[in-house]
Amino acid sequence: MKQNNMLAMILAGGRGSRLHELTNKVAKPAVSYGGKYRIIDFPLSNCANSGIDNVGVLTQYESILLNSYVAAGRRWGLDAQNSGVYVLPPREKADADLDVYRGTADAISQNIDFVDMFAPEYVLILSGDHIYKMNYDKMLDYHKETGADATIAVIEVPMKEASRFGIMNTDDEGRIVEFEEKPENPKSNLASMGIYIFNWKLLRKMLLADMKNQDSNHDFGKDIIPTMLNDGRKLYAYKFKGYWKDVGTIDSLWEANMDLINNKNELDLNDDSWKIYTEDTTVLPQYVGTTAEIERAFINQGCVINGKVKNSVLFTGARVGEGAQIIDSVLMPGVEVEEGAVVTRALVADGVKIGKNAVVGSADSEHIELVSKRVKGDE
Amino acid sequence: MAQAFGIVSFAGNNIRVGEMQNYRPVGAVSFLGRYRVIDFPISNMSNSEIEHIQVYVRRKPRSLTEHLGTGRHYNINSKSGRLHILYSNFENAEWSVYNNDLAAYEENMECIEAVKYPYVVIAPSYMIYTQNYDELLKTHIESGADITLLYHSVDNAKEYYLNCSTLNLNKQKGVLSLEPNHGNAKNRNIFMDTYVMRKDLFMELVKKGRKISSMFTLNDIVNMACSELDVRGVSHRGFFASITDFKSYYNANLSLIDMKNAVTLFDKNWPIYTRTNDSCPTKYYEGASVKKSVISNGCLIEGTVENSVIGRGCVIKKGAVVKDSVILPGVVIGEDARIEAQVVDKSARIVHAKELIADPEKPGYVRRNDTL
Repeated sequence: MKQNNMLAMILAGGRGSRLHELTNKVAKPAVSYGGKYRIIDFPLSNCANSGIDNVGVLTQYESILLNSYVAAGRRWGLDAQNSGVYVLPPREKADADLDVYRGTADAISQNIDFVDMFAPEYVLILSGDHIYKMNYDKMLDYHKETGADATIAVIEVPMKEASRFGIMNTDDEGRIVEFEEKPENPKSNLASMGIYIFNWKLLRKMLLADMKNQDSNHDFGKDIIPTMLNDGRKLYAYKFKGYWKDVGTIDSLWEANMDLINNKNELDLNDDSWKIYTEDTTVLPQYVGTTAEIERAFINQGCVINGKVKNSVLFTGARVGEGAQIIDSVLMPGVEVEEGAVVTRALVADGVKIGKNAVVGSADSEHIELVSKRVKGDE
Repeated sequence: MAQAFGIVSFAGNNIRVGEMQNYRPVGAVSFLGRYRVIDFPISNMSNSEIEHIQVYVRRKPRSLTEHLGTGRHYNINSKSGRLHILYSNFENAEWSVYNNDLAAYEENMECIEAVKYPYVVIAPSYMIYTQNYDELLKTHIESGADITLLYHSVDNAKEYYLNCSTLNLNKQKGVLSLEPNHGNAKNRNIFMDTYVMRKDLFMELVKKGRKISSMFTLNDIVNMACSELDVRGVSHRGFFASITDFKSYYNANLSLIDMKNAVTLFDKNWPIYTRTNDSCPTKYYEGASVKKSVISNGCLIEGTVENSVIGRGCVIKKGAVVKDSVILPGVVIGEDARIEAQVVDKSARIVHAKELIADPEKPGYVRRNDTL
């Protein structure tokens, strides 16, 4: 099934160091989210749902898990003939030494031969660590309509937060006239989502030039986009409306999980018309015991709940013992909270055990407590 | 890799799981929220490293074949393994006595002949248990028996297992005969419709049975063979439920709500596979109250659920109360509706009815896709 002539490249090499221990052994795109997903399921499912057949995933930092995870393209239905997910870590080449990806643009430059294999008309550049649902095919339609050289997806952010983002200043037609990275005095509130559509022929030329440029950071935001603007290329902003989150910190990862409990949440994961696909786990349904109390919660299969769960998100196989309380917290896959333990405003990392009657986190803490090591309880 | 291939057999005319069976074969009926009954025998075979599995379909194949697909989700090797779906001769009416297991095996004799494994393990699509068939096969080979039958000793055969057969055993576990359970004794060895034998003996029995009578089943011909062949029983331990009537379906679901029972069926090292539906986790709203229940993914729960099994993607609206019930996938229980001791079939919507209350001893039934 040949769909659109666009190849997607997902940048998934980042560590996400502000997620601390959560990304000690896995890259940020592989971090768990929403009870059963990994963050990279979102761009991958979006690609599959947008009729994109081939996706390259650029990995670098701690990539063992991520590489094997995305290689199973059938999870997202990206496994028909002439369709696939390709894992692209840095590699040694005949005419160049093995080198890490020096920047987002360099990651694509080092894979020009890969992109050429597909001879696509358009290339879609995505981040592997954002949570959102988006139809890239509609963005491509817009890109074609405007006859742009490049189209950048933008989202309106509150003006007072605009200085945290890369801001696009546009004219009345949506053509980008200026790009400012984290401006002190922002002129608009259109933040770049790090989603770009390029005409491959042009991007290819620019990447080749950028590779030779000693002063370049080899980055889309810092180098490629500003150069295109300087050259007077047609760059358009594509306005996206809906849920979009870049989870850079423990607080924001916690918050993005909590959003799923909110009844007005725009990221409807129950929507059959735009499913987010993920790995299938062979576990039991949820077991809720006689002593359980559950309210305002988002809970995945495999959980066993005998205690109180309030305003919390529980991932695959989390267990809550009798008399334990989970309040305003996120329990990642396989977490075990023993009897009588109290967990408040905390994010408990994969497989961590919290012992009997232990107390973790507090209701009035400024930040969410990350629990990444076993907490001993009464013996 | 086991030395046997697997046959998953269909339910004969002696088995009727109420009205549910009108829509699909028993194997395709939803079980414990996220499974189908047939996931258990197929997972048992797959976990026992049986690579070639034949599933026989007698009637209404749609939902079963849809669920089985290529069999990939059962962890069957996509090159050396095979999940083969084989059909009865559909010229026979659905419930005709001519539409029986031996007829289906004869119809597909070519496919049985072509299998390269010397032994066959036959297991029913309508019973819930776990069993390592490779170990059973080893026991069979070591014993030197011609046929090995798996049974479960029960002490409630008077009220339950009434559509099942029983094994009449001598002290050495030799099978003297297979008899229907007439419900006249408490203690019985319930036959789990699970057989191990050599493939060539199986083929011989099929041909012989067909010659004797067009309505003979495998059960009949094995019973007859007890006098000439060495037929032995092996006792099964662990959870066992036969989904052979409506009440047993209801009871099997409800009994597995208790974790103490569930751990006798489910084991981390013996996964039960099923087809993924990619549904998201379940959302519990403010005011929800769920106790002693098994809940599948993709549900939206605002009401009260007690001692029930809730299938994938169900909606339990505000003020609704679901008690002692089995709710199949995609069901909507409307605001303030009270449901007690019901089996609510797939995608039914209870929106106008405010009360559906039955006695757990005689559970009620709401039809598939129906609106009440």
